[in-house]
Amino acid sequence: MAERDLPRLEIGRKVATKRSQTVSTALVASAGLAAFGLGSLTWVTPSQNVLVYPDAAACAAEGIRPAAECQSEYATARAAYPRTAPHYDTELDCARHHGSFRCSADAATTGPRRFVPRMAGYMIGRSAAQGLTPEPVYDHVAGHGGHGGSYCTGSGSAISTGSGRSASSGKLTSVSKGTSAGTTSFGGFGGSGKSFSSFGS
Amino acid sequence: MRRVALGERPDWCARAREAGFTFHTLDGAPYWDESHAYAFSLREIEEEIEGPAGELHDLCLAFTADAVADERILTSLRIPESAWDAVRDSWRRDDPSLYGRLDLSHSGNGPAKLLEYNADTPTALYETAVFQWLWLEESLREGRLPPGSDQFNAVHERLIERLRAIAATGLTGFAAEAEAPEDIGTAAYLQDCAVQAGCATLLLDLSQIGLRPDGAFCGPDGQPLATLFKLYPWEWAFADPFGGGVAASPTRFLEPPWKMVLSNKGLLAHLWAREPGHPNLLPCCFEDDPACAALGKNYVRKPLLSREGANVEIFARGRQVAGEAGPYGAEGFVRQALAELPDFDGRRPLVGAWMVGDAASGLCIRESDGPITGNGALFVPHWIEPD
Repeated sequence: MAERDLPRLEIGRKVATKRSQTVSTALVASAGLAAFGLGSLTWVTPSQNVLVYPDAAACAAEGIRPAAECQSEYATARAAYPRTAPHYDTELDCARHHGSFRCSADAATTGPRRFVPRMAGYMIGRSAAQGLTPEPVYDHVAGHGGHGGSYCTGSGSAISTGSGRSASSGKLTSVSKGTSAGTTSFGGFGGSGKSFSSFGS
Repeated sequence: MRRVALGERPDWCARAREAGFTFHTLDGAPYWDESHAYAFSLREIEEEIEGPAGELHDLCLAFTADAVADERILTSLRIPESAWDAVRDSWRRDDPSLYGRLDLSHSGNGPAKLLEYNADTPTALYETAVFQWLWLEESLREGRLPPGSDQFNAVHERLIERLRAIAATGLTGFAAEAEAPEDIGTAAYLQDCAVQAGCATLLLDLSQIGLRPDGAFCGPDGQPLATLFKLYPWEWAFADPFGGGVAASPTRFLEPPWKMVLSNKGLLAHLWAREPGHPNLLPCCFEDDPACAALGKNYVRKPLLSREGANVEIFARGRQVAGEAGPYGAEGFVRQALAELPDFDGRRPLVGAWMVGDAASGLCIRESDGPITGNGALFVPHWIEPD
């Protein structure tokens, strides 16, 4: 991973100091503080091109996204997995959606046992500028749910990885829920500060 | 406190580039300046800055507890009634704060004096926590500073600890104005700290914040944010269309709305009224208070809401002798006794004491050539001299 540790000096200093023992900034050192390219961010559209990888190493190896971003996006997706994985009452229900031998009991829940698919990998945007939240993805049984297989997300969106392109490239089709995504409004913060160039102090 | 010509690291620009510090020069003007640095003794740091900063922060918390329960105080701070519920609820729920910066006039002769509390949207964070730290380590290694030199700067470690301690389950968004390098840089740095604290994160432009029908704020793809860091002042957020959605939202904010009470120069008048004669406070009053006459004709006039010295004016014998232009002042003013910044060969350092959570955690110095520290002030590193 491309994490760049700034100097780790005098680890285990014997004298108490008033300063941090170590300082490392993985994201900042790789991308640069002002290099996040947010100025060119575009709205997320219902169907968009995404990348799917089994892990951060595979992402870094392909080199479409910088290694440090592969790592941080993976960390975000992995952290989201326990919460956002679809839960099923029986192992059979889970296997019907995600395939045999791809489900296990959720160790985190208390009460009745429930089943979750294993995290098959993670989905990220083709660039940071896409503004896509990285998500865990799950194996998806072909033919189920009306699309050609590959992967799905915890919220039920389908990812179809096309043929003839690199294996990681896919197209994300969001499920229409009729409520949330449709009526979420944007742009409601920032207007009152528009006559000021920056907001820090 | 001494100002010492140490000379720059010959390769500091390259080091800045490597460290991702892209705004060391802003609009063509220098911002980071290591040709000089300020030296402190450990005693001076602990007794005159760290200790008082912690004590001032405690006074501020005690004031906040009273302010949220007293509509007269909220009114005096010009906090709009529409924001009261969010401010009160966030305090009563104990919504945690992440960080803040107390700006002090400190010369080494007599106690440091509080000039303001940047409690809502402080910047200069990355330069303090990372690049200043790197400067110290390299200066030690290269013998520019004597062995045993230290720095009051545990900001980076404390931020990660604090984020780990207060992290909610779910996604944390870091939002700032993407067109302002210093702002988005600060948000990106905090995102980096949050990743190291094990949080699931997202960096976004202010305009990308969404409000869902279920009341949660969200990122551009509609995923709800459990926590939203916003480098955007609350007084503007509440004036915006989404302001009305804050009180009832399940999303928690950094900084929480109760920080509005502190990020307001009216705080200075209230603190003085509560603790008259406190060694680290200056006499201060609201301009429309008849008691203000006691300040006489020498004072500093500050808008309740302003940033980076804008619209601050210094009066001597009733005449304006210094002033920074700016767009602020509509909410009214306070007058505060003048505690002149020390003068080192014409350079005027302002000491910023960083709070992370409730602990004084580090120091930064902004240096200007005039009596008012504006947005053109340089960032100058500091160190603690060995005994």
